[in-house]
Amino acid sequence: MNSTESSDPILKVKNLKVFFELEHYQNKGLREIFISSLSHPVQFFFKTKELFYALNDVSFELQKGSRLGVLGVNGSGKTTLCRCLSGMMTPQFGEIDTKAEIRAIFDSGTGVMPELTGRENAYLLARLFFPKSNDIETIVNEAIEFSELGHFIDVPFKKYSKGMQSRLMLSLISSKTTDILILDEVFDGADMFFKTKLASRMMRFIESAGATIFVSHSIEQIREVCNQLLVLNQGKVHFFGDIEEGIKNYINLKS
Amino acid sequence: MYFREELLQTRDLTVASIKSRYRKTWAGFIWVLLNPLMMFGVQSLVFRKFLKLDIPDYFLFLLGGLLPWIFLTTTVQMGTPAFVGHSLLLRSFKINPMVVLSAQVLDGFINFVASFILILLPLYLFSDRSMISLVLLPIAILPLLIGTLGMTITLSILNVFYRDLNFVMGFLFNLLFFLTPIFYPKQFVPPQYEWMIHLNPINYLIDPFRSVVYDNSFELFFFYFLKSLLVAFGFVLLAYFTWKRRRNEFYRIL
Repeated sequence: MNSTESSDPILKVKNLKVFFELEHYQNKGLREIFISSLSHPVQFFFKTKELFYALNDVSFELQKGSRLGVLGVNGSGKTTLCRCLSGMMTPQFGEIDTKAEIRAIFDSGTGVMPELTGRENAYLLARLFFPKSNDIETIVNEAIEFSELGHFIDVPFKKYSKGMQSRLMLSLISSKTTDILILDEVFDGADMFFKTKLASRMMRFIESAGATIFVSHSIEQIREVCNQLLVLNQGKVHFFGDIEEGIKNYINLKS
Repeated sequence: MYFREELLQTRDLTVASIKSRYRKTWAGFIWVLLNPLMMFGVQSLVFRKFLKLDIPDYFLFLLGGLLPWIFLTTTVQMGTPAFVGHSLLLRSFKINPMVVLSAQVLDGFINFVASFILILLPLYLFSDRSMISLVLLPIAILPLLIGTLGMTITLSILNVFYRDLNFVMGFLFNLLFFLTPIFYPKQFVPPQYEWMIHLNPINYLIDPFRSVVYDNSFELFFFYFLKSLLVAFGFVLLAYFTWKRRRNEFYRIL
């Protein structure tokens, strides 16, 4: 057996930097911009742009079998990191080195067309979420059965409660395993009754994945799921390593 | 890399959005036909009877410009808020946002084809024009479709940052309508004002379609087609660079 292969990291993140220019358009419409260009022309045209670093020199490696929890206060760069890894955002500097298939989920209450039924939405979601899959029928049927939505499955999706919406979506996405799974605060929506049944399916899903990155505000969930911890602070890696030590670090950071 | 998959996604989303619109009522489809019919009716009355524009086969001439114009403007105005409208979906997992928008544009395109078949085609068949030139139609609408897609993508990305963009676009289209040779032929424009028409990109996207249904001249069509292809390509480049530059902020602000 080739020993180097099993110890090769499944994902290498090197010196990742993502920054944004804080521009005048923030939350403004064109009309407001037009008005401010007329009323304060000097400030408008000569305003220096501020740079905001969402990720600043983030590096870490992920081994196969790793279940990495990510903690950090709001705005520390957790979601930006996950969006870069998923390929949604492109970092201005740094490298993401992996051959693995990455699947990332950022919200669990998503429907595609709220006017259509849960079943129709399930098909669309499956098509969008598993683009390469040939057995969408099987995936959808299995997920619908697991979700226990009963006759509600043929009711328009917009009439679902938030809990029912996440039940359907989480059942669906957890039906196929992947190399690297990224879960960014997805357990917040599922209702309490279902949480136990869903939790065991999600745990199996997480364990079957090659590696997992798990973002949560709940230290309890992180303890339950993860075997490694990354603490982000103001876009930088504050801690990387053992869970309990990392949690102490995170609590100190907050206080 | 995912081209085939994204085509399938686009197809499914297009079908789903048509389904979701017409599930409750088919009346929406009547509006799709009523809108161009009413615009056509009023304009042909005003320009032919009131202003007495003397243009042979004015019906064909007017519809040849009006239908593509309506397709372009309604699609752009329906598509501009699309990214914001689908923000939850686009934020939830990785899908190509262009799939969502292509579906929106195709949806509008189907309306365009329907209005062509039900309104323009019968008039064309009653005129004494040759049927053969209609063979060029699928090629003629290609730049129109591509250009509309590029324009809609660009504006929909910008709309994430400037949420009142669609309001401004509605205003701009109202102005541009008069600077696009739709109810009047280009030849009517005095030479010193021609630059206004030349600067208007929509003009180029409409030309090939009208040329097929009205001019019946292959040389003219070919000339228009090449120009419109360039303009369409320009809009695609614009969309590409807008996306490349704004991509990260797009996801942050969405």
